[in-house]
Order: sequence, then C-alpha cells, then structure tokens
Amino acid sequence: MSTAQTTNSLAPPRTPAEPKRGTPRRRPRRLGTALALAPAGLLILAFAGYPLIESGYLSLTRWGGIGSPTWTGFSNYSGLFTDGTVAHAALVTVEFAVLATVGIVVLATALAATVSAGVKGRAFYRVIWFLPGIAPVTAVGIFWSQAAVPQQGAVNVVLGWLGLGDEHEWLAQSSTAIYPTAAAAVWAGVGFAFILILGATEQIDVSIYEAAKIDGASRLRQFFAITLPLIRPVLAITTMLEFVWAANGFTMVWAMTGGGPGTATQTLPVLIYVKAFQFTDFGSASAMAVLSGAVLLVLGLIGLRLSNGRETSR
Amino acid sequence: MSTNIVTRRRPRGFGALLSWLAQLPLAIWTLIVLAPFVMITLLGLRSNLDIYAHPLGFGGSYHFDNISSAWDGPLGSSGMSTFFRNTIIAAVTALVVNLTAGTTAAYFATKLSDRMRTWYLRLFLLGTVVPFVLLLIPYYQAYSAAGLIDSPVALGVAYAALGLPNTVLILNAYFRDFPKEITEAAALDGLGEFGCYLRIVLPLSRGAITGVSMLLLVWVWSETQLGLVLLQDSYAQTVAVGLLGFRSQFTSDLGPLFAGLTISMMPILVLYLFFSRFITKGIALGGSFR
Repeated sequence: MSTAQTTNSLAPPRTPAEPKRGTPRRRPRRLGTALALAPAGLLILAFAGYPLIESGYLSLTRWGGIGSPTWTGFSNYSGLFTDGTVAHAALVTVEFAVLATVGIVVLATALAATVSAGVKGRAFYRVIWFLPGIAPVTAVGIFWSQAAVPQQGAVNVVLGWLGLGDEHEWLAQSSTAIYPTAAAAVWAGVGFAFILILGATEQIDVSIYEAAKIDGASRLRQFFAITLPLIRPVLAITTMLEFVWAANGFTMVWAMTGGGPGTATQTLPVLIYVKAFQFTDFGSASAMAVLSGAVLLVLGLIGLRLSNGRETSR
Repeated sequence: MSTNIVTRRRPRGFGALLSWLAQLPLAIWTLIVLAPFVMITLLGLRSNLDIYAHPLGFGGSYHFDNISSAWDGPLGSSGMSTFFRNTIIAAVTALVVNLTAGTTAAYFATKLSDRMRTWYLRLFLLGTVVPFVLLLIPYYQAYSAAGLIDSPVALGVAYAALGLPNTVLILNAYFRDFPKEITEAAALDGLGEFGCYLRIVLPLSRGAITGVSMLLLVWVWSETQLGLVLLQDSYAQTVAVGLLGFRSQFTSDLGPLFAGLTISMMPILVLYLFFSRFITKGIALGGSFR
C-alpha cells in the first residue's frame, strides 16, 4: 500500500486517481460539525478578537493596573502628541524595521541565488542557516549585546585582528546603538527568508538558464535577467512579512538594549511595554498600541493580499 | 517540475576558480552562523578570568561549575531548573490545547460548504495579522482579574490560541487534499464521521501534525513579550523570560550567564536537528513562528 510510505511525510497519501474537487457537497448542517469547529473558533475570537475591542476601550480611559478604568475620552490620544516621544519611537521603529528587512532580504536572496546556482550541499545549508532562527531570541540578543562590548566582545576582538580597532562602543552610543540591534535581527532572520526565497528559485525551470547560457549570458546577468524577475512575487511577500515582524518585534530590541541608551532604540513595542508595565499608565499605552497597531494591521492585511493564499489556496 | 539532475561538466581553469569563489561567501556565512553557538558553549565553561583573557572562549581551563550555578540560579532567585519546568508546562499545555482544538477544526472545516469554510478560515487568517501590542494590555487586565498572573498553564492556553491560525490553516490545506477514497471506504465499513477522523485520518496525518507542532514549539520556546507581562515572579518564569533576569543578576559573572544561554538553547536546537525537515516543510506550506 502506498500509505505505508507516506505516513511520515507532510504530503497527503497519494491515490491512483486524483479526487475530483467541486463535486456537489451535501449540506452539512449538522451539530457534530459545529461542535468540532466551536472550540478553535471561540479561542481565536477570545484571544485575538476581543483584545482589539478591549484595547480600543482602554485607550479611552485612565487605568493604573488595579481597580476599574476611568473614562477620559480622547485625552490619551491628544496627550500622545504633546511631546516627541511617540514620534521618536515611530521613527526608530521604521529605522529598525527597514534596516532589518533590507539586510535579511538582500542576504537571503544572495545566498539563495548562489545555492540554487548548483552549489553542492544545499540540504546542509538549509538546515544550518536556520539555526539562528530556532535559538531563543533573548539568548541571541544577550549574546550579541555581549559580543558588541569594546575589547572583550567577540565582534570587537575580530575587528581588532583585522586592524579595524577593537574599541567600538556601538551599544553605548545613542547614534549607533540601533545598528548592532538590527544586525542581530538580520543574523536571526536570514534563515527563514532564505527558505522562502530558495523555494521560489527552485521553481524556475533549468532550461531557461540553459538557454541563457547558450546565448552567452554570465551568471550575474542570469541572476538579474532571469532569477530576480521570476522570484519577484515571493520577494515582495517576504519583504512585507519581514517588515511587519520587525516592526512588531519587541524581544530582540529589549534583550539587546532595553530601548537605551536613554530612549535611543526605543521602538513602539518597547515604548508601549515601558509605558504600561513600568509607568503603569495603561490608558496612554493602549492609545499608542491602537495607533501603531492599526498601522501594522493595515500593513499585515496588505501583506495577506499580496500573498493571497500563501496559506489558504495551497 | 523539471528534473534538477543536469549533467554538470567539471569546470576547469578560470571556471574552477569562479565556482570556488562562489563557495567562499557561503562558507563565510556558515561561519558567522555557527561561531556564536560554539562561543556560547565554550564561554559557558570558562571562569571569569579566562573569559577576560580569551574573550572568544578558545583558551583557559574548563569550569563545569558554571552549569550548576546556572541550573540552580543566583541566590534568592530562580535558576534554569525552574525556568525549564515552566517552559515545559507552558509548551505542553499549548500543544495539547492547540492540537486538540486546531486539528479537529481544520478537519471538520473541510466538511463545510465553500462559502462557510471561507468565512471560518478568514477568522484565522485575520489572526495571523493581529499585532502583538494590541494583545498585551487586555491579556494582562483579564489575567490579573482572573488571578492567572504567574501561571505557566494559563500562559500556555494563550500560546495555544495564538498558534491556532498556523495549525488550522496549514492542516486545513492538507486535509482538503486528503484522498476521499480512504474516508469513503471507512464510511462504507460503518465508521462514523468522528471515528473516521480519529482512527483513519489522524494516524495518516502524523507528518503534517508533527510539522505544525514543531512550529508551535519553536515559537513557544522563544516567546518573551507575552511571558514577560504574564509571568512576573521569577519562580513562574519560562526560559526565554528568565534569561533576562539572569543577565541582570550575573552581570559580573559571565561564565554562568553563558552557561544559562547554552542550557536555554540546547533542547530546542537538538529537537530542530531531528525534525528540521518538518519545520522547513511547514514553512513552505505557509507556516511561520506566529
């Protein structure tokens, strides 16, 4: 039986005849189906639906974390723009997300193009390069923040060997602290993007490359004229996903810098956390969450549109 | 798909040099990927003096005490042993709740009419884009009202719910391709719909279920933002959250800190090396870590 070989794989067991889609289904208005669907539906509504409404409500109140919230109308929102904190955090968020996204997508594309150009060991690379994405983000952040310390940190030691100086204090300076943080996010994120992009490059028919080779196109020319245009849809999805994840990302920034020095690397998720859980100003924090969350939600929806069924239609 | 097995001529001269040069960046990236893991492991076994003398960990004597310091934790606080227990409690809760509700929903959603199914799945699709910042404060409010702060089990339920979009969407796509012949044969033999799901479909879907479980597990192992908010006492914290407290308590004692990093990464990395095939397949099917 074919089932014996396929039980362990992710592909559904194969059958000799393709099952026909679109045959008329019987109306399944049955209680059993409803009962089977209810728990997951209720859980997602309770944990991803209700909080949106509650966040909206809390953003219109003053609440210190205990007792019941006091209604204050839109004063939290107007308060957000009196000082530059939120605007600054928004800028930092965009800077961090752009740096991380560009780094991840460019590196992953270059690596995927090289590997798919027939380099041996693609299975090995696929497994190994994904490791940084598996390790706990806090552990990764703690390591890289330690590695960026002057003289004693690994990065500075290696730069010292190369004659580039080992006294760099990136994390201690407001102007540079964002760079090692974004670099650590790139280190951790490349593996995931690499798998997505490599998947797209592997779909390209080799005969196209062979035709190009006969016409005398160089490897580089082939990359820009064939690979890049053909993987553009996947690149767009990957870029969108990585941007939204980076802009949502709290842990890497928190573990690397805690938002510091001062507020130099305070992204919106960090600012919201600090405002709520260190200053117990849950109302203002909710207002920030609603504003920034709305932007991220829209970006996410655009991403869904772009990927139109990376998940559903497969 | 065309075959990838193209007979490749062995490049000579300049061509050989070029193909060797193409390998070089890959080797460098591999080194950058692996070096931190090696260094963390080595530094975790060094004394403080050795770490200052050899900052990359290559040199000095082995100092296995670090591991027990990290395992027991600093005085008056919790160590890796506690964090591990909590992570395992949260992860097991998440897996059980997520798979029970998610797999069942994914399978029985295939029984819905196309219109109903689209609507049902849209719930989960929207769940993939809900920003975390909008969840934290309402969760904190609800959990503290219910007295569930510092409960790894309650945190695990939240993880289970937030992992549902992945589970339901991936498995639903999988179940829709599930051959009808098999389930119809079972129905002819007198098996009810639920019995067919439990006794025929589930056992044949172990691969796909392993895939979504691994995605969930890797995410839960690393999740920090929610854990930080819902687990306040170090006694209740998970590995990812506890490490942050570790750092502030071991500032002058780097050996145990690195040993803690090693311990925190080891189980999930080993699990990954065994199941990497399922994870990459799960990602190809549209999965992600939340």
